[in-house]
Amino acid sequence: MVKNNSFLNRAGFFLLIIIILLFSVFPFIQMLSTSLKYQWDWGNPSLIPTQINLEAYKELLNIGQLEKDLPESVQNLINETPNITKAQKKAIIAKFKDTSGVFPFFRYFRNSLLLATTAALLSVSIAIFGAYSLSRLQYKGRSTIQRGILFVYMFGGILILIPLYKMFVNMGFLSTKAGTFTSLLIIYLVQTLPVSLYMLGNFFRTISFSIEEAAMIEGAGRFETIWKIIVPLSMSAIVTVFVYSFMIAWNEYLYASVFLRGFEKLQTLPIGLQTLFVSKNAIWDRIMAASMMTAVPVILLFMSIQKNLAGGMSAGGVKE
Amino acid sequence: MTLVNILNQNNLNRQQRESILGWALILPAAAIILSLILYPILYNIYLSFFDVNLEGGNTYIGLDNYNNVLFDPTFWNSVLTTVIYVFFTTIGTTVFGLIVALAMNKEFPFRWLVRSLVLLPYVAPVISVVFAWKFIFDPVNGIFMDIAYEKLGIFSERFNMIGTPEYAVWVAILFSIWKGFPFAYLMILSRLQAIDATLYEAAEIDGANRWAKFKAITFPEVYFVIGSIVLLRIIWNFNKFDEIYLLTKNVKVLAVYTYFKAFTGAMEMGQGSALALVQFLLLIGFILFYVKKVLKW
Repeated sequence: MVKNNSFLNRAGFFLLIIIILLFSVFPFIQMLSTSLKYQWDWGNPSLIPTQINLEAYKELLNIGQLEKDLPESVQNLINETPNITKAQKKAIIAKFKDTSGVFPFFRYFRNSLLLATTAALLSVSIAIFGAYSLSRLQYKGRSTIQRGILFVYMFGGILILIPLYKMFVNMGFLSTKAGTFTSLLIIYLVQTLPVSLYMLGNFFRTISFSIEEAAMIEGAGRFETIWKIIVPLSMSAIVTVFVYSFMIAWNEYLYASVFLRGFEKLQTLPIGLQTLFVSKNAIWDRIMAASMMTAVPVILLFMSIQKNLAGGMSAGGVKE
Repeated sequence: MTLVNILNQNNLNRQQRESILGWALILPAAAIILSLILYPILYNIYLSFFDVNLEGGNTYIGLDNYNNVLFDPTFWNSVLTTVIYVFFTTIGTTVFGLIVALAMNKEFPFRWLVRSLVLLPYVAPVISVVFAWKFIFDPVNGIFMDIAYEKLGIFSERFNMIGTPEYAVWVAILFSIWKGFPFAYLMILSRLQAIDATLYEAAEIDGANRWAKFKAITFPEVYFVIGSIVLLRIIWNFNKFDEIYLLTKNVKVLAVYTYFKAFTGAMEMGQGSALALVQFLLLIGFILFYVKKVLKW
């Protein structure tokens, strides 16, 4: 196909590739660039910072922040008292430090991580058995269930947000911390379950039944075959589905914004970032640094499953 | 395990056992989906006839919520915005995805790297990339205004594009295309890779040019993939909330409108439920029309 391409054709083709690439990655470059710039440099359209500023990252990761935001008199006191111990110094700093401007990145990160990991784990575990049932066992009502799961694709979050919120309020879940966490966990489980069922079901169908049959002739029960044959053979698919579910939960904003209103301590990264953006501490370099650190774990996870992803998606199980 | 005990009873034949096991294994998943998706849908219909009070009981008010919603011009405005948004984002993601897939199907240096970099917009969390987009269109610091105003002089002054509703919707559409095209690209590419190369060779022998090859071979092969991508995109973008709300509060598509109605100000949850139901019915109508007319199923 390439042999009769003229030079002009080739040049045009490379130009197209460059445009596609630029369009795709430009916002990421902008994000990285702004996160490293000083405030006086923001208006400069150049993507390379005039001077590198790591302050935003340091602040987020709490590096070298010990004596910042400390009233000057207290700082002087510490520096001018020679025989003060380290422990005493720490105690004084903890007492006088102004923490109102601090963005609790670690707390948001931990909350997001905990929610997304638990939801994805539960989703995958339940889906392994469900998908096995849908792909391997013959029974009445199976196709109805399968169609029902497809149907669920149509319900974007907003369509059932109000009834779900009202349900969890009625049950008293949202008045305690543990209840709020649990209700959000359940919601993420529901949102990821159809994807997991679908992707895993499609993968199980590609595994030849004869291997299982052989095991069952040897006397293995169904649970044993699932555990010892299906699960090890589908490890790549299971990891893919896990990462996919994790990403859905990690990125979720709508439900978190409504359900976590009562408990600031439970807020996840997307809520935290949005709060930071509208607060008085909104500074572009901080926001961009926080954005980078929200995106990087997901991107790394994705890179690890990338080669399995195209297959899993085209097998039909994708949700946004 | 009681389930194992039941299954080991001798009076069951193989088929019965399989049936019990099948139901038992799907039950947890089915129960969760039933109670947290199907039940809420019904409950939503119920709520839409009530004046919903979060603390106390609800008051039955008949069709009042629907009256309030349907005779409000802002509702019809947001229907229009939604249609514009869905129409242009669907076409944009699909066409651009197709172009990228065709390009990535050819050999060129560092293709493996480009292929994964192109997926980044799809993978990155909305919340993290949305601020980069806000910065790009920022009136003071953003590169867009720098090019459009300083360098090209398209606009007579720097202004906040995202803050102006008539421009914000186009920024939201562009953002959604950027975020969604990799999905279309991935699906189309995996279909393209499955096309038998001998078909093209045969066409070349017959003297077909590039366009003729695309029309006669490539397009028919990817037609159904494109059909499903468009359908999925319509469904997703019709209900899209976060990509729009987080970028700008000025593009009131139905999802955003409902959110504002139900969770801000007077928190009119009853009206919100009515809106959600109307939105759902519109979506079903849309899909039926599309499936009948375009996919011809």
